[in-house]
Amino acid sequence: MKHHLLPVSPSNVQWGYFSKKIAPALTLKSGDRATIETLTHHANDDHERMIAGDPGAESVFRWTKEHKAIARRGAGPTEGPFIRGSGEGVGVHLLTGPVAIENAEPGDILEVRILDVRPRPSCNACHAGRCFGSNAAASWGFHYHDLIEEPKPREVITIFELDTSGEPYAKAVYNYRWTPQTDPDGIVHPTIDYPGVPVDHRLVQKRENILQNVRVPARLHFGTMGLAPAESDFVSSIPPGYTGGNIDDWRAGKGARMYYPVAVPGALFSVGDPHAAQGDSELGGTAIETSLTGDFEFILHKNRDLGGTIMEGLTHPMLETDQQWSMYGFTFPNYLAELGANAQTDIVNHSSLDKAMRDAFRKLRRFLMTVHHMSEDEAIALMSVAADFGVTQVVDANWGVHGSIRKNVFMCT
Amino acid sequence: MSIHAFTSESYSEHDRTEAWQDVLGGFGLRSSPLSARYGEHATALSRASLDGVGLMRFAAGPQVFSPLPRRADLPILLMPAEDGAVLKAGGSPQTIPSGRIILLPRQNDWRVTFHRDMRAIVLSVTAESFGGRKINLPECRDAVIVAPEGLADVLGRTLESASEALEKLSPEAWNTIRLSLAEMLLTLSRQKSSSAAEAVGIGTQPALLQRIYDAIERKLGDSDITPARIAQIEGISERYLQKLFEGSGDNFTHYLRERRLQRCWADLGNAGEAHRSVSDIAFSCGFSDAAHFSRSFRDRFGLSPRAFRQQQAERLSGLGVKAGQRGWPQDAIAQLRPHRAAPMIAAAELEPADLAPRSRDKPAHHHLPIDANHVHWGFFSRELKPLIEIASGDTITVETLSQHASDDPERMILGDEGAESVFRWTAQGKGVERRGAGPMDASIYGRGAGEGFGVHICTGPIAIKGAEPGDVLEVRILDMVPRPSRNPALKGRIFGSSVAAWWGYHYDEFLTEPKPRESVTIFEIFPGEEPHAEAIYSYRWQPQTDPSGVLHQTYDYPGIPVAAETIRRRHGVLDGIRIPLRPHFGVIGVAPREAGLVDSVPPAYFGGNLDNWRLGKGAAVYLPVSVPEALLSIGDPHAAQGDGELSGTAIECSMTGTFEVVLHKKADHAGQPFADLTYPLIETETDWVLTGFSHPNYLAEFGAKGQSEVYAKSSLDLAMKDAFRKVRRFLMNTRGLSEDEAIALISAAVDFGVTQVVDGNWGVHATLSKRLFANQTTR
Repeated sequence: MKHHLLPVSPSNVQWGYFSKKIAPALTLKSGDRATIETLTHHANDDHERMIAGDPGAESVFRWTKEHKAIARRGAGPTEGPFIRGSGEGVGVHLLTGPVAIENAEPGDILEVRILDVRPRPSCNACHAGRCFGSNAAASWGFHYHDLIEEPKPREVITIFELDTSGEPYAKAVYNYRWTPQTDPDGIVHPTIDYPGVPVDHRLVQKRENILQNVRVPARLHFGTMGLAPAESDFVSSIPPGYTGGNIDDWRAGKGARMYYPVAVPGALFSVGDPHAAQGDSELGGTAIETSLTGDFEFILHKNRDLGGTIMEGLTHPMLETDQQWSMYGFTFPNYLAELGANAQTDIVNHSSLDKAMRDAFRKLRRFLMTVHHMSEDEAIALMSVAADFGVTQVVDANWGVHGSIRKNVFMCT
Repeated sequence: MSIHAFTSESYSEHDRTEAWQDVLGGFGLRSSPLSARYGEHATALSRASLDGVGLMRFAAGPQVFSPLPRRADLPILLMPAEDGAVLKAGGSPQTIPSGRIILLPRQNDWRVTFHRDMRAIVLSVTAESFGGRKINLPECRDAVIVAPEGLADVLGRTLESASEALEKLSPEAWNTIRLSLAEMLLTLSRQKSSSAAEAVGIGTQPALLQRIYDAIERKLGDSDITPARIAQIEGISERYLQKLFEGSGDNFTHYLRERRLQRCWADLGNAGEAHRSVSDIAFSCGFSDAAHFSRSFRDRFGLSPRAFRQQQAERLSGLGVKAGQRGWPQDAIAQLRPHRAAPMIAAAELEPADLAPRSRDKPAHHHLPIDANHVHWGFFSRELKPLIEIASGDTITVETLSQHASDDPERMILGDEGAESVFRWTAQGKGVERRGAGPMDASIYGRGAGEGFGVHICTGPIAIKGAEPGDVLEVRILDMVPRPSRNPALKGRIFGSSVAAWWGYHYDEFLTEPKPRESVTIFEIFPGEEPHAEAIYSYRWQPQTDPSGVLHQTYDYPGIPVAAETIRRRHGVLDGIRIPLRPHFGVIGVAPREAGLVDSVPPAYFGGNLDNWRLGKGAAVYLPVSVPEALLSIGDPHAAQGDGELSGTAIECSMTGTFEVVLHKKADHAGQPFADLTYPLIETETDWVLTGFSHPNYLAEFGAKGQSEVYAKSSLDLAMKDAFRKVRRFLMNTRGLSEDEAIALISAAVDFGVTQVVDGNWGVHATLSKRLFANQTTR
């Protein structure tokens, strides 16, 4: 077993997409561990608190008229003229990786154990050691066309501080409404339509004393973890799918294990979209987006060894915690295959919890029948009396419902 | 171009009216109250383009529309989806049949009155909507009801289908449709414009028809009125008169009956007429046969004249109308009291102990044992007579039965006097005849009395002294204990049943044969340490002939005793599986405000079949009181259930609960978590759980068809929206957050889960941890 380190740097991250075409930032063997740094793509909502003085973050977010450290942001076109910028923001998450696993082949399952998760403290002298995050109530939020106060519609950024002195919690520092921002290349962003646009704090009005005395219990986790899909060379990081990606389940934190079907040789694992806290549904469009560092262990399960394990017949991401297993249902289990050529933009028009519930039901039924050898009638009876279905997210285009079954149900097997 | 979904549920009580006016204002309409119920609910979905075409479908309570004065433009098109709206423009009032298009000038003086809950479509088109083409505005001075012929018919159908598909239309499709709508409205209003009528010399026809309407209005009380007599009065031939009616898309007989019924409706609801008997009113409106009138009235409005009158009286009495103001006088209500309709079930008389005067200083404890006379099966109704009256702060122990006990009568009924009395069913009759809200004569499916439209055995109702509409009832579960078997051979053991039924989520997509099938699993419950349930056996549902001789191919009627010899028990099912218990009550509800019988299956604002396992020992539910005395009922006890209740049932297991019932008077709500409550709110030790539904008030939203529509139109997407709006409102109103703060907090800390996908009105709940506010000292 070897322990690797993967810090953030322009060469160790890709921005807004998964791709089977990019060279691995790290190659390791099954059983190896790695400490992986991740950055939130919302750090530029408050550059002073979340980027300034942090060499890793500064190197990734660097963007001047002359130099944009990471030009491509998203799976969109990289040839101008641009509407929003290179990659067009079709996918927004800063992902560290990819990590290649030796001998991984399509059909295998990659198990990723999250051993530890830590926040990334500010390096700015004024805020040294303190940890901050940003929440955007954005245009892709569930609430956006259903606002009741004026002005409508509007996007709002709320900056939180994470307090880890005791039982960790987050507390709001201030908020502001998004105003049109001009990026260093001269493109105006009337809404939050491209990741990493530096927000000019002279153009926004900060409101302090918000969410007074409200403490949000921390749930440190990674919103986006997954493998490169096989279908396209560049796949938007926004909609989650059969190889994982932007699942946005807060249970993917310390102690959790995720299982992903391998779709391309080497598996190509990437991680990002770190969150300090999120509710089931991620209603406003984002969590408390906070840069985090994780310790991971990677275990490759070869296809031939899957029989008789909980991974038998697995074709979708699955979570295991000490208490439960969760199956991830989506509006489209594999939207890339189901929606064809325009899948990555088309998916937004099809979002539905009803379809995601249907998918979660099918996946959990399969799990109980295949892995726990139940008859269909037993599986259905058990699901009704002991399985819990929850809303994972309603903001990532391919909406999610997770179906969970507690492990203590099986205690006496 | 934008799609806008509106629901009054988003707003606090004070802001609802204004928010609704804003929505209507976008269509040149203004609303004024018809009664104090105004502003209670409104939902709307609209789509508008910048160039001035707006289409909206909406549902709302009774109210009056009038124009919001604007500059001259194309008339507003309104199309009510239900009968009974009345147009008043200059002359005498005209009733508007459902699905009829009305063209309403933007400036003139007119009013459209909706006397009841309504649904309608509205289309607004401005002169700018024609892609820059200059148009001559047709001169529309008068509001007109357009007969559904030719263009009007096509436009009406287009509006209906377009408004149904509003959310789903792609931008291109919407563009095409809005252009067509604009053109059609333009042509139609030209056809109907005052200038066109004058130009071709047909202006006399509408004028003549108007005179005929007036004549009918004057003669309405004359039971001998005929077309010939009216024609004679106006000096035209009877044939011409009939032709004029045909031209208006109606016929004489129908028009006359509608006007008579509408006038009766108005008189019956009018406090000033309270001294007149129902038959008196019917007679004065030209009905000569009281029985015929009663039938026609019920057909038309869905309830009997008497029930309607009582409903109106109670509604107003519940509003606490002050003396000396306009509206229903106090003495009229007093006169009405003796006319209360008879209770719908023969409930036991109040227990003597409860009649005895007792000190109000100390809360009393009551006990409501199970018995055929103590339950209503499969429905809620404001018309039920309460079994017992308790005071706020009292505690009450309530025995409840699972309607699934009959899945294994030997284990769950035999030897249990209470259960036997409720489930008794022989060829001669049943302990509880009515099961469900359907007809007693089972004239729809022939399943049995009540048709199984609603299945839960509800113990109650319990009257809460002093409860009035607008109050909130807190029902706290102090204790819950399962009801052990009284069968001597199984004494003390506890059993439950779970049915994977035809209403389950899985039913239309089985993997294995036979398809489809229903499966019953019998569980034993072990409540000791690490409380859990284990399956004993299961069986596939086989057609059962009930003691009345009716064959039930599926599980379509509750309480059918399953004969052991008709089924094959499979043992060893769910081997090695221990299901942790989550004892809770599936059904806790107060009587809905709507009249008649309400199916117990779909939950809604009044509570009912919430099926949320968090509602167990130590938890409380806050319910908005809708009728005097609240009328609380409890049932559907569950030993365990998952979020989703996927197969259609939980582990259904009879239980006895002890409840503390606290009445919170409306005046004392300020600053409380339940202030401005319009839905069931669950409180557990650690969380607030807000219940969202596909259709938060389906009875009002869909009107008379509600009890079937809610099953057809349920969706998690809608339930999620409702849950979001409720939690936003909760945070803004009870925690004083701004909308931006509320949304940030919801995104970061509120968990949304699937409550159930099997009860018609699907549910999503929002769980808000109390820890978030642990640091708040104020509020």
